[in-house]
Amino acid sequence: MSLLKINDLKCHYLTDISTVKAVDGISFEIEEGEILGIVGESGSGKTTVALGIMGLLPENAAISGEILYRDELISSLPESGMDRFRWKDIAIVFQNGLEVMNPVLKVGVQVTEPMIRHLEISPGKARSKCADLFRTVGLDPKWMDLYPHQLSGGMRQRVLLAMALSCEPKLLILDEVTSALDAFTRKEIRDLLVDLQKEKGYTMLMISHDITFVSSVASRIAVMYSGKVVESGPVRDILVSPRHPYTRGLVHSTPDIFVYKDLWGIPGDVPAGEEFKGCPFRPRCTQKIDICNKASPVLMPVGGGREIACHRGGIAGLLEARNLSFSYRLPDGEYLQAVDNVNLEVREGEVLAVVGQTGSGKSTLAHILANVIRPEYGEVLFMDGNVSGGNYGNRVNGIQIVFQDPFSSTSNRFTVLDAVKEPLYINKIGSNGDRLQMVKNALELVRLPNTDNFLSKYCGELSGGQRQRVALARAMVMEPKLLIADEITSALDVSTSANVLRLLKGLQNRRGFAMIYISHDLSLTLKIADRIAVMNSGKIVETGNSHDVMLSPYDEYTKRLVGSRIGLCCHNH
Amino acid sequence: MGEDRNSFIFRLLLTLFVILAINFFLPRMMPGDPFSTTSADEVGEEIIVMTEEQRLYYMNYYGLDRPLHEQFLVYMKNLMTGDLGRSIYYKMPVSDVIMLHLPWTMLIVVGATVISTVSGVVLGTFSAKNRKKGSDRIMMTGLIAFAEIPSFLLGLILLLVFSVYLRLFPLAGAITPFADYNGPAEQAWDILYHAFLPVVTLSLSQLTGVYLLTRNTLITVITKDYIRTARAKGLGEKTVWNRHALRNALLPVVTRTGFMIGIMMGGVVLVESVFSYPGIGMTLRSAVVGRDYPLIQGILLVIAVSILICNLLVDKIYGKLDPRVVI
Ligand SMILES: Nc1ncnc2c1ncn2[C@@H]1O[C@H](COP(=O)(O)OP(=O)(O)O)[C@@H](O)[C@H]1O
Ligand code: SF4
Ligand SMILES: [Mg+2]
Repeated sequence: MSLLKINDLKCHYLTDISTVKAVDGISFEIEEGEILGIVGESGSGKTTVALGIMGLLPENAAISGEILYRDELISSLPESGMDRFRWKDIAIVFQNGLEVMNPVLKVGVQVTEPMIRHLEISPGKARSKCADLFRTVGLDPKWMDLYPHQLSGGMRQRVLLAMALSCEPKLLILDEVTSALDAFTRKEIRDLLVDLQKEKGYTMLMISHDITFVSSVASRIAVMYSGKVVESGPVRDILVSPRHPYTRGLVHSTPDIFVYKDLWGIPGDVPAGEEFKGCPFRPRCTQKIDICNKASPVLMPVGGGREIACHRGGIAGLLEARNLSFSYRLPDGEYLQAVDNVNLEVREGEVLAVVGQTGSGKSTLAHILANVIRPEYGEVLFMDGNVSGGNYGNRVNGIQIVFQDPFSSTSNRFTVLDAVKEPLYINKIGSNGDRLQMVKNALELVRLPNTDNFLSKYCGELSGGQRQRVALARAMVMEPKLLIADEITSALDVSTSANVLRLLKGLQNRRGFAMIYISHDLSLTLKIADRIAVMNSGKIVETGNSHDVMLSPYDEYTKRLVGSRIGLCCHNH
Repeated sequence: MGEDRNSFIFRLLLTLFVILAINFFLPRMMPGDPFSTTSADEVGEEIIVMTEEQRLYYMNYYGLDRPLHEQFLVYMKNLMTGDLGRSIYYKMPVSDVIMLHLPWTMLIVVGATVISTVSGVVLGTFSAKNRKKGSDRIMMTGLIAFAEIPSFLLGLILLLVFSVYLRLFPLAGAITPFADYNGPAEQAWDILYHAFLPVVTLSLSQLTGVYLLTRNTLITVITKDYIRTARAKGLGEKTVWNRHALRNALLPVVTRTGFMIGIMMGGVVLVESVFSYPGIGMTLRSAVVGRDYPLIQGILLVIAVSILICNLLVDKIYGKLDPRVVI
């Protein structure tokens, strides 16, 4: 029997203008002694869930579904019936707001009050228990006689915690308990919670937008988006390999998890209020398909204690390379194994970096993946179709590649217009008028002017950075699902290359295409990559989450690569 | 702190001085003087008409023929020694006259304050708990309409209905004249019996204000986070309202009560006249009619000082109730 069970809970706020579906059909269970975390952006409905459990929703909320506490239905109890469970069985620690405690009552009184009521003890006894509680949460009992406004935010949060613990509840709900605190106090509260849980075995429901905080305490998390749970499972698994595109965005935009990466939020906003058919994440999703507009995906188990709500079963695979091999024949008749039995996977919307020294076979691999050259062995599958048969480079939403050297991809004798239009022309996409507009759009995307004057310039007249952008526009005009960028910044000076890189990452984030970013420069790579594949002598020697590869490389070569980087930037090592 | 205290005392003294000056000059700016009145205040009172000679004699006797500023200086000097002067009409010290009538006024003002505050808070709480329901709407509309009636008119109606027609209450006075009481209980009963209608009239004139303030403040307070916290603790609706909501909602009510006493001190003049209730309000009225300068000054001073005291008390009490205020 689980301690708390929630079945298809819906809480809709009825306002004058619209109905806000703050919680829209969520189900979960909490076992005795477990810590479940709920994470999600602000406005995703987390607080509403907490208030719903406590029976504290405001009058304008319509609630349906079931909330069972120890198999007893508590969701439809009247106020007085709910009071039987409040504080003794289920207590909540609210976020430390300005008025979360009564301003005219001493904090000690506010802590003892529920004890006197529920535990039926004398005020004197309650006071001495209160002093104990204060010590437990790290407060001097002398603060009991102060008023809330006389305490600091951190102290108030501790009082709120002491208050919640006062009747030794079976289930403790914590709503954003550290969000308003400084980093140091946050850590203290976190440690306190962990200790308390170990000692007393509290069952906790921990709610926060801060996935780092939640995952450092909880054992399981549920990710909420727009009133629904989109993914749930064991903390570690979700952090290491998020499966829902939203979860991935959440994890990747968290500085504590991705230490080296630049922060790129998840583009778009949480849809609020509107009548939403289909998947709520659709406007921000990079891998949506037709059905996503029509039906809302349901949360389904996918094994390993994980659940996902996505029509595509979570982040979908985009490209898969199996056993690729390729060798060059050298003038002396010897063969050079440039690509040696490489297996690789790229998922929707992710940035995979392939790093390795010059000559390690990265470019050859890139050419094979883009179907520029054919592998001797193995195959490349793009969206489940064979690349060599499917010609994905020649179609819209296919694969595009941008090369290291902008001078080779854009001929000096082409005007900007011709250079960008060429792929459309070759592949007979759009009418002439359409093409001009598409070129202009693509130029705007890469932040180049799209005036007639610029369009009629010859590529030979452009600077290196501009020319690389033209090459990028030439790829973007085909709206690729996968962009392969092969050392695109190595021919540029430092500041230009930083600009191009930012542009590229921005484009990727907004347009949601996947990218294989090939580079010999580990530092730059870390700024944009979600995953890293390390290549040495034609082989992929290590792949993983860029953060993990960076912090704990296991391959000798990778260690050297990482070490060389650290040696360069940190003089004291 | 010391700086604050000094400036506070200075401001208080300045206020007092201004009040004293107004009290002194205002009555003297009215036409006529104490000895040339010809109208009688009460029906049946004999009219004393003085000769010019007599009038000048008395003017000189009371020092009223001296220049105004001199009179004012004398008045101030006497005041320093606690001497309010002698009433021309009553022919005894002003302080004695006031002491004779002030208790009655205090009785009805304090009584009305207590009654209007308590019933206003009770009704306001009831309304807030039932907000948007029929009972709340009816109560609010009724009380607002009621507040439009001027208090002296209300007093007259009550007097006519309950005293004249129904003969339930006395027509005038604060006690039954020449009564022989069997013990203090009976005396107290007689006093309450006489005070009843004036107190009710005064209370009713203030009730709506307290009621609306309580209701509206409670409706705001009840949406606060700390009320949600109190509910979460499972304390029960009664505790939530009475302990958590009301305690916060009472803060503005307390402030209002202070002002209310001031307003009532003014209103009491009319109400006492309507019920011929022998408090300082009625005394003030006859003093004005008789141009009894020292008595007018004395009563106005008492009223002003009691308003000042009330405001001071309110500040003190507010500071005790709201810990966020530092005094
Ligand atoms: N009392 C209310 N009336 C109307 N809408 C509300 C109310 N409270 C919250 N909402 C809306 O419900 C949604 C979910 O809010 P909330 O549960 O507070 O989210 P979270 O705690 O995840 O930030 C938001 O769009 C919010 O604006
Ligand atoms: S693929 Fe469809 S169902 Fe899955 S997250 Fe994207 S929009 Fe939602
Ligand atoms: Mg919240």
